[in-house]
Amino acid sequence: MDPKPSMTFIDKPVDHDTITVIKAGILRFSEPNKYWIESSHKRFIPTVGDTVLGIVVDKRADSFFVDIKGPMVAFLPVLAFEGGTRRNIPKYEVGALIYARIVNANTGMNPELSCMDASGKAAEFGLLKDGYMFESSTGLSRMLLSSPTCPVLEGLGKKLAFEIAVGLNGRVWVNAEHPSSIILVANAIMNSESLTPVQQKIMVERLLDRVN
Amino acid sequence: MEQRLGNTWRMTVNEKKFIESALESELRVDGRRPFDYRTLTIKFAREDGSSEVQLGQTHVMSFVTSQLVQPYRDRPNEGTLSVFTEFSPMADPSFEAGRPSESAVELGRIIDRGLRESRAVDTESLCVVSGKWVWSIRLDLHILDNGGNLVDAANIAALAALLTFRRPECTLGGDDGQEVILHPPEVREPLPLIIHHLPIAVTFAFIGEELMVIDPTHHEEAVMGGRMSVTLNANGDVCAIQKAGGHGVMQGVVMQCLRIASVKAGDITSKIKTVVESYKTERALRMVKRHAPSNAVDVNEPDQKAKQILEGQKLKSEECSVSQSDDMDVEQDRINKRSKKNRSFTGGPSSWDPYSEGVNTDELEATLASRGSVAVPMNLDNLGDNIRDETKSDEPLSDVNPVSSSTDTAGKEMSISREKTLQDAVKPKNKREKKKSSKIAAV
Repeated sequence: MDPKPSMTFIDKPVDHDTITVIKAGILRFSEPNKYWIESSHKRFIPTVGDTVLGIVVDKRADSFFVDIKGPMVAFLPVLAFEGGTRRNIPKYEVGALIYARIVNANTGMNPELSCMDASGKAAEFGLLKDGYMFESSTGLSRMLLSSPTCPVLEGLGKKLAFEIAVGLNGRVWVNAEHPSSIILVANAIMNSESLTPVQQKIMVERLLDRVN
Repeated sequence: MEQRLGNTWRMTVNEKKFIESALESELRVDGRRPFDYRTLTIKFAREDGSSEVQLGQTHVMSFVTSQLVQPYRDRPNEGTLSVFTEFSPMADPSFEAGRPSESAVELGRIIDRGLRESRAVDTESLCVVSGKWVWSIRLDLHILDNGGNLVDAANIAALAALLTFRRPECTLGGDDGQEVILHPPEVREPLPLIIHHLPIAVTFAFIGEELMVIDPTHHEEAVMGGRMSVTLNANGDVCAIQKAGGHGVMQGVVMQCLRIASVKAGDITSKIKTVVESYKTERALRMVKRHAPSNAVDVNEPDQKAKQILEGQKLKSEECSVSQSDDMDVEQDRINKRSKKNRSFTGGPSSWDPYSEGVNTDELEATLASRGSVAVPMNLDNLGDNIRDETKSDEPLSDVNPVSSSTDTAGKEMSISREKTLQDAVKPKNKREKKKSSKIAAV
């Protein structure tokens, strides 16, 4: 998953060849000529193609209303599931946690979600059962999704078995066998946002030592 | 399509289930055990009577102010205490500006009841003129961040602010002796409130059928079935219990909660007291520093010797020497009278016992005569009041007082042996004050 090149963040005055930055964050570069600013917020601006974790807040005849931490509530069409027909509409209650993809995000309109990937397959999208979901910032989500794997997840993965779903809207879901593992993983991730990779490794090691 | 605020927090069914299942194995989401409090931080501002408390993510500020008002008809010789709460919208998306919500009113009531019913704040000492003027103490609580358990955090903030608050001193005067004159803090040291004990609120949240936690976080509060706040002090007296609806609990559970709460109240009381003491010493140091630069040269010598003798009661000796030099400016003509009195004064208050030795009547007459003849200067009174106030209240400096008196004794002895210089003119001032205060104490 690549962050988008932030052409919209750069203000280019007409006369000169200079670039002015108007947003605070880390400047990133990718070959051959892509620069962008990465910043971390608690707010999420929906963009097409992002995978997010949403909470069902209401149900209508043709779609679910899902909150994705954006300025507007998104809607998930009832048929946007693999093999979805009018007969097998999923029954999601209010408060259910959904892993979905944004297909449409025009400003001023409610974003549209889908529980299928581009080719129409389910691909892990859909309802997330059990586990624990916590909210953080968009920067943390991006860090958790970066490749190579970020040190926190690597360190935790060596000792614990857990399942994790990261939404780009700042929501993370963790599931494991034992509540203690879940709590451990969740707290480790929450603490790791502002730490460097080395610090993250040390923090995870200390945490695991303390527990065992 | 519905247009809802994007920043409203919503709870998932996963979270609800998880919190309950984790509690069954005695685990809480932030890693605490069921009866652990979050880390508590208490901070003070430069002003007296304002405090800031952080309990985990919950952030509360409290301010205490006072005003002279007419008392209630049915309580003509008692001051009043009123509590106001403000739930700022920045604390939680569900808080709205304007009229206080039900929970805001409930919070104010719990804190008010804890302080008023248990008579923690002494209201009778707030009376100035019975039936006409009393002090009205106003306690404002501002909620800055709602991370759960606002009651406990706000209560601690209120107590911290009340303990460090000082009201201006006022005396009766004017033409008919009925006018109240307020003295600004520069002229007379403001007085602290008299607080008998500290009522601490401890909140329990009931989750599920049998699970109970202390100090719930915001998420736990959303999941809980009921809540109970008990207010009690470190002596084990229960000041108030608040349980407004919600899940019913057995009487045995209530008693268990009270027992746990008394332990927690003891911890929190000691934490508050430590922080308040360090604030008070810092405040006293701050006041001393104001005068120190101009008088460093003069009083160094006697100071050094005093320090050597006492080994480190720096605070009080500095304060004494500072006030000595202050008074040096005031009058020179009474120096002779004072030095005469010095020679007859044989020991400090610690060794002078009126009941065994009796009062020296000549000395007494001399002091009364001198007191009546000259208009007592402000500084002198200030110092006297200072010492009197400190002997009355339970501040940390009070235990330094007997030390200071021995400073004076030591200083005195030294001065008598040396040749009389201007330094000796300065020294006697303290002895006179000590004698005055000791007489007051004795009488």
